[in-house]
Amino acid sequence: MLKSFAAKATVPPAIAVTGFVVVCCILLYSVIKTDMLNDAIEHETNLAGTIVKSARYAMLKDDRETLRNIIDNIGQQKGVEHTRIFNKKGVIMFSAHTEDVNKLVDKKAAGCIACHTGPVPLTSMGRMEQARRYINEQGHSVIAITVPIYNEPDCFNAACHVHSPNLKLLGTLDIGLSEEPLQKTLGTLRGRMIVFCVMVLILTVGGVSALLLRNVLLPIKELANYVAAIKRGDANRKAPAYRDEIGELACSFEEMATRLKATQSEPEQLRSAEGDGADSRS
Amino acid sequence: MADTRDPSSMKRFQPPPPKPDATGTPPDRDAVRQETVQRIKRLRSKSNRGLWAMALFIAVSIVALGDFSILPPLPPSIRAALGKAPSAVMISGGLVLYTFSAIILILSRMMGGKEEYSGFAHVGYLAAFYGFYHFAKALNENFWAVFVAGITILGLESYHIWNFCNEAIRREQEVLDSIERLRKS
Repeated sequence: MLKSFAAKATVPPAIAVTGFVVVCCILLYSVIKTDMLNDAIEHETNLAGTIVKSARYAMLKDDRETLRNIIDNIGQQKGVEHTRIFNKKGVIMFSAHTEDVNKLVDKKAAGCIACHTGPVPLTSMGRMEQARRYINEQGHSVIAITVPIYNEPDCFNAACHVHSPNLKLLGTLDIGLSEEPLQKTLGTLRGRMIVFCVMVLILTVGGVSALLLRNVLLPIKELANYVAAIKRGDANRKAPAYRDEIGELACSFEEMATRLKATQSEPEQLRSAEGDGADSRS
Repeated sequence: MADTRDPSSMKRFQPPPPKPDATGTPPDRDAVRQETVQRIKRLRSKSNRGLWAMALFIAVSIVALGDFSILPPLPPSIRAALGKAPSAVMISGGLVLYTFSAIILILSRMMGGKEEYSGFAHVGYLAAFYGFYHFAKALNENFWAVFVAGITILGLESYHIWNFCNEAIRREQEVLDSIERLRKS
């Protein structure tokens, strides 16, 4: 089947177009996914900054009740998987999940290890380094951000506080948002790209095949049938009429068939002429 | 006068099969027949090259799918000497350009009826793309793009060489048939 004229004409463009469109779609999807993920991280980092700023006054006044309420309310928001503040030692002081309060965070866990790899922990990180992606105990995909809460002059100068001015970091806010909306959007995008790919492939491969079949393969088949008929001795059959190269080829065949017919009938005519001459002589 | 033609460019064209000499003596015919049979054997083994390249690429892809975990890690000194990996977007742009130009070159070779086959070189280029994505920590996201690009390019290469060899074998077979006809007559 692959040796046929139709296969030779359609297989290479079909493979080339299909492969190239699929490669481009996968790369485009990958780039869009990375951009959307970066946007989500950017958005979440801004949200974490807003939470730290909102809670700043309560922290300054050491109003733990208000701070607990802020964290609880944020934790109840749809799509928020966890919100917690832990101190410099890694003890969770406030959490939307009350069972986590007073637990010690593992410094080797994802999100902590980035700062705690060396003997002296880092005190500042780039925006993208603050983010981590993981699947939580409930089986939800989560994008979490850790934002450091720095020691400011207002903190160590306040009468109620005991922080030393030498301390750079007081604690960390950790917020995790569900990846579900992002994954849903990516799923929709994936589906639309697959539909687009299939449509492009049907149009290009199908279009090329249909045009080839109509303009080349069918005329060649008709020509082959005509030549087969001549071979069988059916010299009265008309050649297929086309105004292209196949038409010219058909005309040449027709001319050849006419000459062949004339050549074949010549000896018969001679024989009959000789017969007539003999009759008249006798 | 010395022949100034590039010998490598001469290799690209399939020399026309020698026509059996009708006036040749039987020993000549036997020699031509032997040569033709040898050429058919060579063409048959050459037509399988595409499958070997494809198998090699699939083996490389299986290793890449596991993020090259079966290979020993690169020593830090070599890693530092290599420098910072290019961004995933840059590598993807390179992959699109490479796939496009490779497809165009293969199609033009098909059109020109040239014998040239570069499937094994493409396996090397594709393995390099796997390597670049691995060092840019973006192999997981882009593995299937490289894989589909490889299957497309090597599929076209295989089809081209298989088709070319089959046509050449058919021509050689005609030579054998002519020799047989002469022998019988």
